[in-house]
Amino acid sequence: MQINYAKKEVSCKLVYYGPGMSGKTTNLEIIHEKVPDQNKGEMTSIATEGDRTLFFDFLPLDLGRVRGMTTKFQLYTVPGQIYYASTRKLVLQGADGVIFVADSQEEKLAENIESFKDLEDNLAEYGVKIDEVPLVIQWNKRDLPTAMDVEELEAKVNTVNAATTTAIAATGEGVLNTLKLAASLVLDRLNAKTPGADMAAPKAEDKKEPKPEVYVAKVNKDGISRSYFNQYCQVQYRLSSKTDSVDDFKKFTLDEKKKLLESLINYVLLLQDAKKRNIQASKAEIDTQINTFTKKLSSGKSLEQYLKDRKLSLDNLRNEATKNIIIGKIIKEVIPNLNARLKIKESEVQNFYSTNQDKFGDKDIDAAKPAVLAAIKNARKRELLSEFYNKLGRETNIQIFHEKL
Amino acid sequence: MKDDHLRQRRLVYYKEDLDQIEKLLDEFLKLSNAKGSFLIDKEGHLVTQRGAVQQINPETLSALVAGAFAATKELAKLLGETEFSVMFHQGTTDHIHISIVGNRAITATIFDEKTTVGMVNLYSKELNTKLEKIFDIAARRVVKEQQMEPDYSESVKDKLDNMFED
Ligand SMILES: Nc1nc2c(ncn2[C@@H]2O[C@H](COP(=O)(O)OP(=O)(O)OP(=O)(O)O)[C@@H](O)[C@H]2O)c(=O)[nH]1
Ligand SMILES: [Mg+2]
Repeated sequence: MQINYAKKEVSCKLVYYGPGMSGKTTNLEIIHEKVPDQNKGEMTSIATEGDRTLFFDFLPLDLGRVRGMTTKFQLYTVPGQIYYASTRKLVLQGADGVIFVADSQEEKLAENIESFKDLEDNLAEYGVKIDEVPLVIQWNKRDLPTAMDVEELEAKVNTVNAATTTAIAATGEGVLNTLKLAASLVLDRLNAKTPGADMAAPKAEDKKEPKPEVYVAKVNKDGISRSYFNQYCQVQYRLSSKTDSVDDFKKFTLDEKKKLLESLINYVLLLQDAKKRNIQASKAEIDTQINTFTKKLSSGKSLEQYLKDRKLSLDNLRNEATKNIIIGKIIKEVIPNLNARLKIKESEVQNFYSTNQDKFGDKDIDAAKPAVLAAIKNARKRELLSEFYNKLGRETNIQIFHEKL
Repeated sequence: MKDDHLRQRRLVYYKEDLDQIEKLLDEFLKLSNAKGSFLIDKEGHLVTQRGAVQQINPETLSALVAGAFAATKELAKLLGETEFSVMFHQGTTDHIHISIVGNRAITATIFDEKTTVGMVNLYSKELNTKLEKIFDIAARRVVKEQQMEPDYSESVKDKLDNMFED
């Protein structure tokens, strides 16, 4: 995808993939035929004799200006025949979305499966996972008597639970639907997703259009929606309230919100990094954290009561625990000699105690020592972590929309 | 991890970069006496075009040039080269000189009898060095400000719907 702010242009690349003769070129021909003149360019086909694609077909679509950006889709088909493997791969480079045109005929099943595997391999060579790329599978040639049942095709070919459509490309049926679905998957990606949101691809049957979200920040491909952010603020507010009275998080000032957003961004960065490192919090680990937390609750208060007072759910708390566990594991992994760096000298304890004496009331230094140690350790961990966040932040694309807070 | 990140990166061009790029292209056209030049990213999207080449469809040219270049790269591999950095096609009146810029873009320059392939090649080498510098700086910039309308995607979907209903 190219986003050209200077020319106010967005250009996306969609690639039609699939076995030989499945109907990829036919899809493009129909689109070329049906799109109004002002929205399309010439269709270019590099074909052998007959109708087999040799290199690729190309059809540029121009939607004109949308919200100030001239929006273009560049449609390509690959040659399906097995021996054009390297051409297929190079046409796939930089694809923002893929439409896999499958031939529904029973005798083509093996070719479909092979071509789908080939797609997976070629994407992988560009560092893209097949279940992460916007992908639509089109079950084509539904008119033929030997067409297999869609359920069976789903089970045998669609191993990644991709969105699917049915079509008779030769008559144009289903062609535009497929294109629209693929385009909208690509566009959803542009409007990045909320972390933790359900990312399951929609099936062709249910056409529920999601409401547009307002985003307060974007961290790589994950967007942070305003509603998600507000929820985060609320939970943080309630967790941090010393008393059990629960005030509205809206009392946060803009500066406080900016800080909270920063910490949420750090959290998202951390989760992204944890995912790459395959670091997870197991259910057992989370349970242990919750148990420890419950034991620490003052005067035998039950966890239920604590949560109820703060209008929190157990899930809120489990999320916090998950975060803590993952943070713990990541810092162990990325910060060398963690334990040595967390060793605290006696003089530091004394120093901290004397500068913060008011916080310890009438406790003398020995009585306050555990609290002092914990405070210093936490501060140091935060320091180390912020180094790490800075490093992560430098390697990522972060956009912050303060005006949306 | 870093590579991965680069591979999936969107190609984003800002006004400040493009202004510089276009200035360089104009300079290059003047020096080399070529008719016009296209800057294309490796995925086949046009970045910008300069000079008297309006009659050529830039989208199709970009797709074909990027495709041809990718194919040539395969050819280079067969010969044990990593890639061929320059390609030249001779026509009866117009010729095209295609050259790779760093690892993310391609320039395609159209010229006729007013100059020679040697001149075009010479100045395009200088051009490429300068372009690469701009790309490097641009790639390292951290994007902070929102530049796209939040309901952009939904609006495009609506537009697609309307386009096909007619
Ligand atoms: N019966 C029937 N025939 C179809 C359908 N779609 C395409 N065809 C026919 O299938 C043949 C191959 O279609 P193409 O679009 O050229 O196939 P392709 O996928 O581009 O093939 P390659 O370029 O070799 O990869 C043509 O004769 C089409 O008319 C369909 O839905 N039903
Ligand atoms: Mg074809």
